[in-house]
Amino acid sequence: MFQHTPLRLTTLALLAAGSLAYTFAAGFFGLEILAEIAILAILVIALDLVAGFGGMVSLCHGALLGVGAYAFTVAATEAGLSAAPAMALAIALSAALAFAIGAVCARSTGIYFIMATLAFGQMGYSFVFQSPLFGGDDGLAGAPRPDLGAIGIDLTDSRAFAIYAILLVAVTYLVAAATLRSGLGRSLVGLHHNEKRLRALGLTVWRAKATAFAISGALAGLAGCLAAQHTQYISPGLLSWTVSGEALVVVILGGLGTLVGPILGAILFVVLKHEISALTPYWHAIVGLILIAVVMSRANGVVGFVEARLATRKPQPLVKEAKADA
Amino acid sequence: MKSTIKAALAGLVTSTAMLTAAQAEDIKVGILLPYSGVYAALGQDIDDAFALGLETYGTDSGVTFEIVREDTEVKPPVGLAKTKKLILQDEVDVMVGVVSSGVLGAIRDTVDGAGVPLIVANAGNDEATGEACSPYITRISFSNQQVNRPMGQWMVDQGVKKVFTIAPDYAAGRQMIDAFTTAFTAAGGEVVGQEWPAFQKTQDFGPFLANAKASGADAVYVFFAGGEAISFVKQYDSFGMKAEMPLYGSGFLTSALYVEAQGPAAEGVITALHYVPTLDNPENAAFVAAFKAKTGRIPSEYAVQGYDSARALVEAVKAGATDRATLATALPKVAFTGPRGDLKMDPATNNVVQPIHVYETVAGPDGLTQKVLATLPAEADPVNGCAMPAATN
Amino acid sequence: MTADLGFWVLQMLNALQLSMLLFLLSVGLTVIFGLMHFVNLAHGSLYAFGAYVAASLAGVLGYWGGFFLAPLAVAAMGAALYFTLIRSQRRAGPMAQVLITFGLIFVAVDATRLVWGDLPIGIAVPAVFEGQLSLLGVEYPIYRLFIITLGLAVLGVLTLILSRTQIGAMIRAGVDNDQMAACLGINVERMFFLVFVVGCALAGLAGAVAAPVLSVTPDMGLQILIPTLIVIVIGGLGSLKGAVAGSLIFGFVQTFGAVLLPTLSSVLIYALLAAVLVARPQGLLPAKG
Repeated sequence: MFQHTPLRLTTLALLAAGSLAYTFAAGFFGLEILAEIAILAILVIALDLVAGFGGMVSLCHGALLGVGAYAFTVAATEAGLSAAPAMALAIALSAALAFAIGAVCARSTGIYFIMATLAFGQMGYSFVFQSPLFGGDDGLAGAPRPDLGAIGIDLTDSRAFAIYAILLVAVTYLVAAATLRSGLGRSLVGLHHNEKRLRALGLTVWRAKATAFAISGALAGLAGCLAAQHTQYISPGLLSWTVSGEALVVVILGGLGTLVGPILGAILFVVLKHEISALTPYWHAIVGLILIAVVMSRANGVVGFVEARLATRKPQPLVKEAKADA
Repeated sequence: MKSTIKAALAGLVTSTAMLTAAQAEDIKVGILLPYSGVYAALGQDIDDAFALGLETYGTDSGVTFEIVREDTEVKPPVGLAKTKKLILQDEVDVMVGVVSSGVLGAIRDTVDGAGVPLIVANAGNDEATGEACSPYITRISFSNQQVNRPMGQWMVDQGVKKVFTIAPDYAAGRQMIDAFTTAFTAAGGEVVGQEWPAFQKTQDFGPFLANAKASGADAVYVFFAGGEAISFVKQYDSFGMKAEMPLYGSGFLTSALYVEAQGPAAEGVITALHYVPTLDNPENAAFVAAFKAKTGRIPSEYAVQGYDSARALVEAVKAGATDRATLATALPKVAFTGPRGDLKMDPATNNVVQPIHVYETVAGPDGLTQKVLATLPAEADPVNGCAMPAATN
Repeated sequence: MTADLGFWVLQMLNALQLSMLLFLLSVGLTVIFGLMHFVNLAHGSLYAFGAYVAASLAGVLGYWGGFFLAPLAVAAMGAALYFTLIRSQRRAGPMAQVLITFGLIFVAVDATRLVWGDLPIGIAVPAVFEGQLSLLGVEYPIYRLFIITLGLAVLGVLTLILSRTQIGAMIRAGVDNDQMAACLGINVERMFFLVFVVGCALAGLAGAVAAPVLSVTPDMGLQILIPTLIVIVIGGLGSLKGAVAGSLIFGFVQTFGAVLLPTLSSVLIYALLAAVLVARPQGLLPAKG
């Protein structure tokens, strides 16, 4: 069941304050990294919503992100829509596709669900990769950033864009938390624990699963729009199953089913990636080893680890403890 | 935890910022190459040869070159992010590299907008020196059409009348084959069939080879590179098709980088390229010897592109260029005789103008080697919609 | 040209050859899953490892040295993995297994780059199998016929072992209900180990066999993974028959799709997989009813 413990709320507050403070201290590259973290954070919150709470471990969230990015770019460049309606359209498309995938896969569980989502994700990837409309392997240029000139904000500036991205993470978090608190969210958690019982209670199982998947897909689509606006260039690699796999890694690294954890995981993952890739081109191997170690430790990621340790001790110095474990 | 991460981030930013502040009078070079991903070997060849080129020509130029390397991972968005980093944070004077056409397409507007000169050391997409040309983008490597067009006439002259083409289904594959077929049909040849296997998804070319075999063509003309080139050449040979339907192609097919892995299957394959390591001229002899001494490898066409990129940069500096603006004006004016022969830049497109060598892969005393059959004269690409504006900064 | 009978024979053989290669890979993966409920995403990396070992040994011992030693090397690698990672994660659920083996893929790709470099490697077809054979009016590479024969032979041997021997009966019992099998006195742990190692050896064999046909590259394990997973999911996890059916379906759809419907070819197989999962969420021929 989704809860806001004092530790999680404190972490959230620290994250919000820290990231906003950092936007004013950081140089160009720091801001780029911040935007990258924000995009990944939105994606992993979306994934945690279905995987962590509903047990629907999806390997197609990268593709849903990619669909959002491509739909946004095509709507903005080909159809000439301005950024806001293009975003709405892209998010709606991702949500609709996610609803369909969720409905089709609702009967599958465990490894079959993982494989089925993988198949749908790869289908999207192959389609985009092969379709000349989407620029094929070379990708598409020209995704615009929203024009907030009316309220005096220039999003082409890295700092403004980073703040905009962080605000979208906050929106995503609120949507995910509200979903989990709603009846749908409780049904989702219930389904994860005992599907038969909820079926007996009269719940239309496939619809609940598909709706939750659609909300998650909409958030992944939002991440896609933001990714397109960030780099202003997209390529089919966004839809690849390894993106979904990495997102899953981040969720696990941070703590499955905690919502806060995946955000921490996103920060850790992006920073680690940049730090290690600056040292060696073999950074994938190091990330892989860290992943194996985290999963083998049987802790539920960073957040799960901290919470488990706190539970065995007096829960006094919350913040200090969190620092010591980093 | 938060503070640790922030410290890590802050450390990252300050360490690179300190680098930026050092020695503003030197030329700061940003290298954009894939050091991981499918083209990592190409990136390494270009990087090694670029370093060799700077050692060879740069020592008496009076300036020191400071190098910042960034890995594009062969992903266009990553390449773009790294380009922005080099321009905005490292404040480089000039950038060198770019293997994938996708990455070049992605960074084109940023490079053009920022007015930072870019020496393209591989990516051959025709647009970069065509409709999307820029005064800041100078290509020292090749264009896709440049290495394929001359083969059209040459093959007709050799008596080949009907061909079947196969190439991976992506922009570069299409450009390479289209340039060839246009020239080939203009010279009186006929294209009897075409196949476009999915790019980087096809490991078994058997189904396509069966189609080619059934087509009744005199010969097959293909473009493949990397691992696909190795698989293709071996599978072509294993179906016993070489005898009845000779295999021709764009020279990347039997690149010196891959030919050992192809083994005897590559013997007799005739292709065209802007460089082969067996070219007989003193500049090439010196280059091959120096590259072998440095790396233990025979230089590929990718290596010579890296080497000539360094040479072009040094020539521009010797002509008086000191910063982004002066380098941008000087680079398209460089001309020199290098391992490939006489090179100059086409002022209309900033693309290199160079001879194309038709070569056959043959067995030599130390394994496979390249026998040059013909050297087709240098010819500038058509302008293709390029209206070159003057550099404005 | 499509009216020509020889063309169809040739493409059938191509499809069969691809199917048999995938069968060698998927049979190990699917039986490991059926017996141990373990999802090994790194199975493709074991295949790549087999190809690299075979390619390296071919230079020293000739093709057959690599052919026989690569499966052994991969089996040894599998045994090492079993004791370090697999055994402790057997009951950890599919999520932990997917993630650990996903991490292993990352490590494996970079490890091969470190050891063997970024350049693709190629080895020659063994001298006995050079050239083509005339078959039903078409000239077909002997080496590809060898792959088909090898796949069929492995299928025959596995069928015999599973249906006629005691160990086969034990494995079938384990797939059906491993707790019950353990109660009946079967040493389930030892059987798991045996099946895992044999599955790895078969992946290594597939790598060794594929090396002369394809180029050996660091990402070949990742490239083959998705097709292998599709095969076992279409066929139904855990069953030998499923692996055969899945391999044949994949091989034929892929080959004829590429030739007859080139624009749809890459989406076709995924659409088929989705259709199978909708109609039969457990695959076509699952191990358990």
